[in-house]
Amino acid sequence: MRRRALKEDLRLKKIIKNIRLADWMLFLVLLVVSVAGIFITKEALPRGTDVTIEINGEPAYTFPLNVDRMIPVSSSYGETLVEIKEGRVRIREAHCPNRICVKQGWVSKGVIICLPNKILVIVGSGGGDKPGKDIDAVTG
Amino acid sequence: MQSRDRYRIALLSAYAIALHGFESLLPTPIPWLRLGLANIITLVALLLYGFRTAMMVTLIRIIIASIFRGTFLGPAFILSFGGGVSSTIAMGLAYKIARNLFGPVGLSLIGAVSHNIAQLALAYVLFIQRIEAVLIISPVILLIGTLSGVTNGLVSDFLIRNILKKDGDKFQDLARE
Repeated sequence: MRRRALKEDLRLKKIIKNIRLADWMLFLVLLVVSVAGIFITKEALPRGTDVTIEINGEPAYTFPLNVDRMIPVSSSYGETLVEIKEGRVRIREAHCPNRICVKQGWVSKGVIICLPNKILVIVGSGGGDKPGKDIDAVTG
Repeated sequence: MQSRDRYRIALLSAYAIALHGFESLLPTPIPWLRLGLANIITLVALLLYGFRTAMMVTLIRIIIASIFRGTFLGPAFILSFGGGVSSTIAMGLAYKIARNLFGPVGLSLIGAVSHNIAQLALAYVLFIQRIEAVLIISPVILLIGTLSGVTNGLVSDFLIRNILKKDGDKFQDLARE
């Protein structure tokens, strides 16, 4: 008897019927905002021309993106290897616990972040790289 | 605090820690993807037993789980702590202010979004300090948070209604609504 009641409750239709109007509206608004946000940030980001590697929040190296090379960076978890090839950049080797940065793979614009190593690999377009300018570039 | 409350908090925290641990075992296609399954327990605790229980359960879950995983007081702990506390506060406030407006799904969404916003803000202030990097990943995180928030809300809804049905007489004030 109880099992049958449980089965009836599990029907998606019944659960969906229980969602209120405000819930639906909130869901739709969030969905639209996030999907639009993905496209807007993709559009707003200019394709980079050079790679900046920041260690502990300080810019350490800048290299052009069109010259292939390997850059060993000494970091908190041993040596991290950054590779630039065919206009893209990736973190080839890292010894941090999760290796999220390595899994992110090749990147031709945007940023690779490695929190444990405190390394940031930024694909930028050179010149004055002030934070204030970046805000304008993304929101404007 | 009554001893019944203590049992309840201990039991709910155990569920939450188990879900939290299980979730970190799941392989995820996207590195930042976290389902926030433990939020189901927080939401159930909030709706059935009130804000204080929910907050206790969240704090216990985050601290114990981080000790198990060896990240206590590390960067991951700070992000997890800030996200968990702010999402519990946001859900509690939304439930208190607009009790009849949002159901479990809406509350779960509010919790997921404030969790994401708090984590992004903390990551920006403490670790990344580049608004550019935060702006790029925030829509992706928000989208994942929205989807998992809805799923968690549906599960919480189901759980709450079954608990109410099973021992509804214990929650007369809730059942009257």
